[in-house]
Amino acid sequence: MEPSLFSKPRDLFIDIVNPKDYVQIDSVSHMYQSLKTSVQKPLKMILLYGRPGTGKSMLLHKLHHDLSKHQKVCMIDIPIIDENDFLRVLAHKIYSYASRESLSLTNFLELSTAVNYPVTPIVLLDEAQLYSPSLMEKIRLISDARALKFVITLHKTDNEDIIAKEHFQTRIWESIELENASYEELKIYIQKKLLKANCFDVANMINDKNIKLITKLTRGNYRESNKLMFALFSLYTWYEEHYPSKIKYNALNTKWIEMAAIHTGLIRA
Amino acid sequence: MLDVSKLEKRWLKYKIKKILPYGLLLTAIVTLGILIPSYLFDNPVTVSPASQKKERMQAKPALAIATVNNEEAMILEPSMNFIESMTPASIPTAEATANPPVISNKSRLIPNVIPAISPIVQEPKIQPPVMPKVQPVVKGKSTSITRDDAAFDIHELEERFKNNSNPNLGLYIARYHYDHGNYTESYNYALKTNAISSTMEESWLIFAKSLVKLGKEDQAKKTLQLYISNSNSQSAKNYLDTLNKEPSR
Repeated sequence: MEPSLFSKPRDLFIDIVNPKDYVQIDSVSHMYQSLKTSVQKPLKMILLYGRPGTGKSMLLHKLHHDLSKHQKVCMIDIPIIDENDFLRVLAHKIYSYASRESLSLTNFLELSTAVNYPVTPIVLLDEAQLYSPSLMEKIRLISDARALKFVITLHKTDNEDIIAKEHFQTRIWESIELENASYEELKIYIQKKLLKANCFDVANMINDKNIKLITKLTRGNYRESNKLMFALFSLYTWYEEHYPSKIKYNALNTKWIEMAAIHTGLIRA
Repeated sequence: MLDVSKLEKRWLKYKIKKILPYGLLLTAIVTLGILIPSYLFDNPVTVSPASQKKERMQAKPALAIATVNNEEAMILEPSMNFIESMTPASIPTAEATANPPVISNKSRLIPNVIPAISPIVQEPKIQPPVMPKVQPVVKGKSTSITRDDAAFDIHELEERFKNNSNPNLGLYIARYHYDHGNYTESYNYALKTNAISSTMEESWLIFAKSLVKLGKEDQAKKTLQLYISNSNSQSAKNYLDTLNKEPSR
């Protein structure tokens, strides 16, 4: 059976965070560089925030991927709600200290003093808005003791500006906000992603009008764009299999883009 | 797994829902586009060639009416003034007011008419000095021009009198003929004028004078007596006395 032209592009847009799939866009690249610079500074906490789907997790994973080659970096992408577990996991991942018993904050700080790293280890916390205030208080104490550096990501929502919360306001020493992509950025993102995977034919099918429609539907949100593109190339795969004559290779079909948007819930129909 | 057929139906539904407001708006615009011109066709204000033709046809009578109205506005007032200035004592008849064009034309004759009134009022002397042939010397060319105009106009005035029977016009013609020695004509026009309006003193006097000139002095006296009995006119009494004292005047 002949491989589908659209199955590969479809799989490119599966919504998983993989640093290898990181696409360099000017604005995001600038953010990433400033994040890397901030990490080198003697800062205790760095905040990375933005609306869901703006690429915070990807940036955090990319940072983890790049920094882990040179220094001790611990990535916690799934929040550990239990305070004892949190300290125990950190002790294990950073200091390779395995303990079945619960670890107190004092014990943890003693451990960090005992294991003296030349460069302060970095802890990357994704979805930090899920952590309890008391745990956030412990994180603050650990960073104040300069035992660890923390880079945390937060969701910025319309209803609640988490940065305004007191315990973040007093501790965050540097904050970086991520935003949705513009039309040009989304165009580069999609094109680069396809070209990186050698999907030249499909990349050539995407014109400015298609990108404008996609930007309009997803409002430049990377996660929504990934979902839309995945649904769109799923449709193309289906049509390629059942009605190949309906496929026009000079541009993406607007109707099918809208159908994909309906499928992903971007259009209510 | 995608259910493409269901997705296509949903897309169609979405598309209809999306286009519907624009469709309705377009329909409304088209409907208005049809209704407004048809409404304008029903009214006089229109743009199409057919209606322009109709408009042109309507415009002509309207223009004519407007002209008439203007003429009336222009004619009525000066003609009434003319009548009043001409015969202050006499009351204009319905016929006189009912024919404005004639009155208006008479207004052009004011320069000729007004000088003629004063000598006739001084009836005992009976010296109408104004009429061209009576004046012995023509001092300037302008006078001769006035005379020619009057001679030229009398036939026109006679025609008009036939048409409108205006007593003032009849009196003017009678006076003109009397001054020109056409006593038969002056008799006839004075008679017609008296038949139209029996209150015009000058007309009765011209009638009586014409009778005298035609050799019917007795009939002139009877006429004057009859008129005096009805009007108590002092001019008529004076002329009757003159006739009684000096016959053939």
